[in-house]
Amino acid sequence: MLPRARKVQKVPFVELYAGRLQGVVSSGSDEERVYVSYFEAGTGNFYCSTNNNRPCGGLRGSPCKHLIELINEGVLQYGPARVVAYLGLQQAEPDKVKSGAELVRFIKGGPHKVEAGMVFSRFLTYLQYVSVAPTGVPLPDMAWFVR
Amino acid sequence: MSLTDLKSVPEPVVQTAELIGHLDEVFESGFGRLSSANLQTLASLAASFAGTPLAEPLDAAIAGLGRSEFVDRHFAAIAAARAAAHGAMHDALVAQASVALGRPRAELEALADTPGQAAPPRAAVLLESVRQWLMELAIAGFANLEVGALLPFQATLDAIMAEPALVRHAALLSGFLDELLTVFPAHGKPEVPRLRWADLWTRSMVLSLAPPTPAATREVKGELRVFATDLRQHDHVVSLVAFGALHEAGKPARVVRTQVSAFKVDVLQGDDLAGLLNEVGGKLLEAIAGGQGLKISGMLLHATGDLVWQEARAEVLPAKLKLAEEAAAVLTSPTALRPSARPEDRHPAVVEELVWLPGDGYAAVGKEARELSLGGQPFPLAFERWPSSDDLLAADLAGSKGLVALLRFDGGRWSLQPVMIDKGKPVPRMIGTGLQAVRGKAKGGNLATLKERAGKLLRKKS
Ligand SMILES: [Zn+2]
Repeated sequence: MLPRARKVQKVPFVELYAGRLQGVVSSGSDEERVYVSYFEAGTGNFYCSTNNNRPCGGLRGSPCKHLIELINEGVLQYGPARVVAYLGLQQAEPDKVKSGAELVRFIKGGPHKVEAGMVFSRFLTYLQYVSVAPTGVPLPDMAWFVR
Repeated sequence: MSLTDLKSVPEPVVQTAELIGHLDEVFESGFGRLSSANLQTLASLAASFAGTPLAEPLDAAIAGLGRSEFVDRHFAAIAAARAAAHGAMHDALVAQASVALGRPRAELEALADTPGQAAPPRAAVLLESVRQWLMELAIAGFANLEVGALLPFQATLDAIMAEPALVRHAALLSGFLDELLTVFPAHGKPEVPRLRWADLWTRSMVLSLAPPTPAATREVKGELRVFATDLRQHDHVVSLVAFGALHEAGKPARVVRTQVSAFKVDVLQGDDLAGLLNEVGGKLLEAIAGGQGLKISGMLLHATGDLVWQEARAEVLPAKLKLAEEAAAVLTSPTALRPSARPEDRHPAVVEELVWLPGDGYAAVGKEARELSLGGQPFPLAFERWPSSDDLLAADLAGSKGLVALLRFDGGRWSLQPVMIDKGKPVPRMIGTGLQAVRGKAKGGNLATLKERAGKLLRKKS
């Protein structure tokens, strides 16, 4: 179970994956537009762009509002301890963290472009799970997954 | 019947667990660099299969792996041996439980082979990719995995998810990959749940040795009365398992198990599960919530007592049932057939012997519900399996009038997992009773939002 339930309206997708906290953030103004954002573990580098690889206008040396929303939702989804450990933010004290935004000051990297497609295709994979037909066949191996 | 006879574990079970424990050290450090201790472990594994059909492939595998021949048939032999060892433990444990419970062990129903659709040719190719990936994990060793070696498997998994014949593989492999990715990339020395991952690896390998063939089934017609439930889930699958009495005309009542499952993502939980399961098992949820029976006609029953759930072949009956009485009758009948596992699926983790405990046979101990008192003797409760749901709480044990539990073997000991508690009310306490009521609430929630996005984006993609 996740530490806390979160709503997916603003940030439909967030994950800790391949050494990044990454995800997709809905544009505040345009329903159809989404931003693809990430923080990298270790280096602390980050980036934000539209899914068509257009850089986010809010990104000027420091994380934009989409990145802040991303880390806020990441902390809701995974809990501060996991996000802090995954990103390797040694100075942060997870017990005292109330929202993800408080973690931004421990992130020491700068803007560093990655292809939005990499993260966006993860979002499509994510959505694929909710599109697979449910089933009534026996799945005995689920005996291993108890929570 | 005396559950308290289950305080000790049969000696062969203990020894086999020890042998498997040593084998799992090899999985942790990797078959790519076998130490002399590892080679000794593999030799004693081979020795324990001497004279069995597995002896020859196992000997060949161990000799080959010693020469760094990394081919999938060697790993298939190791997986088959590990699974067979767990299968023998399963059988010994079920035999022990049957003696303690004073009833014959559940047997597979004899069914004629039913013609069915074979898996498409594509399945064989996908399973070959699975075996390849599993082989890479075993060569590297669980402690030495790198995220770069894990990520490419996602593409194979995506293709498996799109293949309905491989739904069981998709459910298992997505759960296994989730766990690996939770640990890796790791900083420093990762904590590897060795036994668990070796189990998931073995299950995956055994399941991927050949494309699935249609199982023998028979059509059933009658009334199903669900009296106990269990919820199983990982980030990408949720599964509601229901146990009930099946009444067929002209036959004594028997116990069956049915399961409805949906793929999901991590953020979907709580009320969203109702929306997910409603699509495949809405009538089942309705019957569980109302304590009602289901008229079923033409559903397929496997030899294991697993009923393939089909909404279109079910009808919720209006009458409210006395489910505690129903459970007590069928579970204490020495002749009623009960669910079991196929030989290839047998493992201590799938032992789930259904038992009925009358209210005067047990007492709750403490608030934490770590154990029950059975006639003054403490017996462990599988407390780590309490669902995080208001439908069934540890507090329900106090003052209850009877319960259904799954007798399980986990962590080297027997324990009881309550799956229905009778509080003397019309609908007993069990997980899933609250799901029907929140189905409507799912509208406008996370599930609806993600489905809408999926509808737009995935259509665009294809
Ligand atoms: Zn931005």
